Amino acid sequence: MHKNQIKYLLILLLLPAFWACEAEIDQATPDAGEIDLTTFVAIGNSLTAGFKDGELFRSGQEHSLANIMAGQFMHAGLSSFRQPYMKDDLGFGNRLVLADTEGGPMPVPAPGTPDAGNFQNIFQSEGPFHNMGVPGSKAGHLLFEGYGTLYPYFGRFASNPQTSSVLSDAMALHPTFFTLWTGNNDVLLYAISGGEGDGITPVIEFEMAYQAIVAQLTAAGAKGAVANIPDISSIPFFTTVPYNALPLLDPAVITLLNTAYEAAPHISFSTGLNPLVVVDPGHPAGIRQLEQGELVLITALNGIQNQGWGSQEPLAAEYYLSLEQIEDIKEASEQYNSVIKDVAESYGLAFVDIEALLKRARTGLYYDAIPFDTQFISGGVFSLDGIHLSVRASAVVANEFIDAINHKYHASVPRVAIGNFPGIVFP
Amino acid sequence: MRKLMISAVLLLMAYSPAKAGGYQVSLHGQKQIGMGLIGTSLQMDASAAFYNPGALAMMPQRLSVQAGMSGILASTAFQMDEPSVYQATTDNPPGTPFYVYAAGMITDRLAAGIAVNTPYGNSLAWEDGWAGRFLIQEISLMAITVQPTISYRLTENLSLGAGFVYAFGAVDMERALPIQGPEGEGRVNIEGSTANFGFNAGIQYAHPSGLQAGISYRSKIDMAVDDGDAYFTVPSSLSQAFPATNKVAVTLPLPANLDFGISYQATPDLMIGMALNYVFWDVYEELHFDFETNTPNLQDSRSPREYSSKLIVRTGGQYRINEGLFVRAGAYYDPSPVNDQYFSPETPSLDNLAFTGGVSFLPFPNLSIDASLLFIIGLEGNKYFSPENFGGTYKSRVIIPGLGISYSL
Repeated sequence: MHKNQIKYLLILLLLPAFWACEAEIDQATPDAGEIDLTTFVAIGNSLTAGFKDGELFRSGQEHSLANIMAGQFMHAGLSSFRQPYMKDDLGFGNRLVLADTEGGPMPVPAPGTPDAGNFQNIFQSEGPFHNMGVPGSKAGHLLFEGYGTLYPYFGRFASNPQTSSVLSDAMALHPTFFTLWTGNNDVLLYAISGGEGDGITPVIEFEMAYQAIVAQLTAAGAKGAVANIPDISSIPFFTTVPYNALPLLDPAVITLLNTAYEAAPHISFSTGLNPLVVVDPGHPAGIRQLEQGELVLITALNGIQNQGWGSQEPLAAEYYLSLEQIEDIKEASEQYNSVIKDVAESYGLAFVDIEALLKRARTGLYYDAIPFDTQFISGGVFSLDGIHLSVRASAVVANEFIDAINHKYHASVPRVAIGNFPGIVFP
Repeated sequence: MRKLMISAVLLLMAYSPAKAGGYQVSLHGQKQIGMGLIGTSLQMDASAAFYNPGALAMMPQRLSVQAGMSGILASTAFQMDEPSVYQATTDNPPGTPFYVYAAGMITDRLAAGIAVNTPYGNSLAWEDGWAGRFLIQEISLMAITVQPTISYRLTENLSLGAGFVYAFGAVDMERALPIQGPEGEGRVNIEGSTANFGFNAGIQYAHPSGLQAGISYRSKIDMAVDDGDAYFTVPSSLSQAFPATNKVAVTLPLPANLDFGISYQATPDLMIGMALNYVFWDVYEELHFDFETNTPNLQDSRSPREYSSKLIVRTGGQYRINEGLFVRAGAYYDPSPVNDQYFSPETPSLDNLAFTGGVSFLPFPNLSIDASLLFIIGLEGNKYFSPENFGGTYKSRVIIPGLGISYSL
């Protein structure tokens, strides 16, 4: 080969070295638009706090809705966001984990003893806190000075449990931006007691509290985002056990049950799926069978399967919601939601439609190639308690907040990639 | 020849190609690559067996043998739909498609030859744990074709040819499952191999003025894996729902190609040409996994693909500097056959703009060492896999150096 030819060959073979072979995509710079993200405070209940699997615990808090949003706000001006962390993954000791049972993976209490530090006030050592989500709180509770003395989930991180309120602690930080997601417990605590415990907050009370909270938060010019509340028919705690959860095939068993309820002729059993028998103080006979559309709480599942609840023994009133109770719950939810929407409009806040999101999730949807629906455990939207969002669903909701904020305030806060967050852990 | 066969076997073992529209790989001769892959109207040597069997009987040599391979260095970048700052890139193993051609004139008019090459394949690995891993983590797909060919010259100017194509291939893919266990995420690995038949036929016309034109058609071949293995790794409490070893059937069509090419020997030293390749991608409608054992959690999956047939436009030429040195250049535009709404990152094929260059050295009149270099710019585009709500911006860069050797008598 000629020397010249060798030279040409070498040049040709070396050319690749000068070519930038890696593909790169230019990224738009995140921008806060019309909002100031210097100090972000998230106010609300368990859903903001990061409560899931029946408890508030450290790794759940790391993936709280508030913390996920804050992580994204850091691309657009936020520099710090402090959370009132539990010391461990047991919190106050009510955490559920999945265990392998004969009936498939089922939630059971997590083993272990919670750290005593979980029950001590941590404001002096770690506060103040930007995640002001308090599990169990209703809208009115957020204004309640001394709430920390009654509710340990606030008491453990209130600046002064005797005198401070969730809102006063939030305002002490002088937030420039806030999120507010409250109202769920104003109706949910009634619903999860089967309508027998806590009452539904009258809408007028809810409205006054909500108006007062937003008025204070925006008084110094802060902008924010507010979210509405889902309908209970999207929540597996209420939808997992059907009203007719009593399959009967054996004629002997059917006869036996019919005989047992001879004194109540309006109750009868036949081959197939039978409505559960429940206690109803409003019924002349004191007991009746459920009607289509009535909801049984998931907490009754074990009793129905193993202890004859709803068949040999009428299901207690705190384990189901009657059509009337469901109607009251729906009406209150709708009224709260119209208050939330009106307040968002009159204060010029971003509005996040969680009710619509969870309604869509009922029939199943995909985010970033991950399937979601509202089935208990397998659906991926709800955590093991059947009420609170899973980590990945919290990330989806964070994106809904971010979308609403970007839209309202012409910002470009980056969305999260859902697949970067952990799923529900199966044994 | 024996040595060539041995190298072919070695190459087979190393083979893992990628890149061109869809999962078609068009790297079948260093000379053609150098000229923007305008092969259809060329009658230079045994490579005509693949590019246009009709041109084989027009080759100027009595015997032509050649072999070569390319090294694909490909990188694809992904930016999740804005506003997001999530980015990921592929971490592909280098692909090495190859070819071996041999042809001879049996009589003045009748030629016979054989072509072994790798016209379809895809080798892709996204960075570990990337956001699209539930669609694809990595895939290796390959098809090798063996094509005995005959060609007959009807007149001084016109010849016909046809080949029987035997294709064999294998697929190996892994995707993550959105199921978490104590030891991490679940995953499914699918492996299988298959073989099938097709044909390749063409007509070549050569005018004494130096004008040449060719048409060729390569048939569609359905690569049906009937008995593939599906290995599921899931948390133990879900092992009933996802049997660890399952069988799966899946079919991937290798689309038909209709090619037209024209070239002109403008001066004794300069040849220029162009080619149009129409690829019948519309046969790829869906990716259907049919599992032998189904459970309530594991159903057969049908995922839409809805590819469109596309026309690739190519141009290129070669210049003879002296008896021992040729240089080549070319370019082509290869629009993506992938549907913008069913764009799965397993085949992130973009609209490709490519530039090529090549040289041949002839240390002896009978022996040519052929080198080529191909740059492919995968034009940035917003693509979505809408059924599963995953998408963003994709962009790719590919560089493919290649080296071959041709011997003729």
